[in-house]
Amino acid sequence: MLKTSLQFGATTENLPIIRHFVQTHIQKVTTDPIKINQITVAVEELCANSILHGNKENPEKELRLELRYQGRDLHIYLYDPAPPYDLHSYPQEPKLLRADTLRPGGFGIYLIRRLIDRIDIRQRKGGSSVYHLVKHLTP
Amino acid sequence: MQIEVLPNGDSQHLHVTLKGELDALTAPKLYERLSQLVQSTPNLTQITLHCKELTYLSSAGAGILLMCMDNFSPKGITLSLVEVQPEVYNILDLLGLTKLLPVNHA
Repeated sequence: MLKTSLQFGATTENLPIIRHFVQTHIQKVTTDPIKINQITVAVEELCANSILHGNKENPEKELRLELRYQGRDLHIYLYDPAPPYDLHSYPQEPKLLRADTLRPGGFGIYLIRRLIDRIDIRQRKGGSSVYHLVKHLTP
Repeated sequence: MQIEVLPNGDSQHLHVTLKGELDALTAPKLYERLSQLVQSTPNLTQITLHCKELTYLSSAGAGILLMCMDNFSPKGITLSLVEVQPEVYNILDLLGLTKLLPVNHA
């Protein structure tokens, strides 16, 4: 079983590090470049949401990303010190123009839902959260 | 992320190359640079983004492309993407942007 983890501060400066970490490890279980990219995008979107919204880009807030490959499934865990948000409560389609900001919105969550097969969210004692994403790697 | 304005453009049509990764960190820089170009080129009608060396696109990058389209379109400026890598095209397609913007494969 492949199991690896990365600890990082809540800053967008760490997004390239997160991508590199994911790509490096996913390449061990699939060679399909589209699939590798899709998983990388989904994980980065999850992390970017936590960095930007949950932790307000406070680099002192530490998150932990864990990848586990079990059977033919990739399990992605994000341990986040911020309270959880409900990925399922967002609209099914991304908004091309949000009324409040007049900017596009919801693209990240839409991508996570399109690219990931299962999403579980759990609040932990003390208010922190765990996001558990599962991606089936069989065709 | 590198943004280069190619010298073969004219006063109406700018060619811009994107190199590297377009994410939440780099997307605002792209918007700022393209907005500067639009402001400093009064007769501009078309911007072509050459994406052969654009290796990654996140939702933030896609959002900025859409915002550019929304903001430049009323000024009569068309935005298009050419030589887009399959991985990047796949993300644009999932978001429905390939129906809104002219996007050509690498």
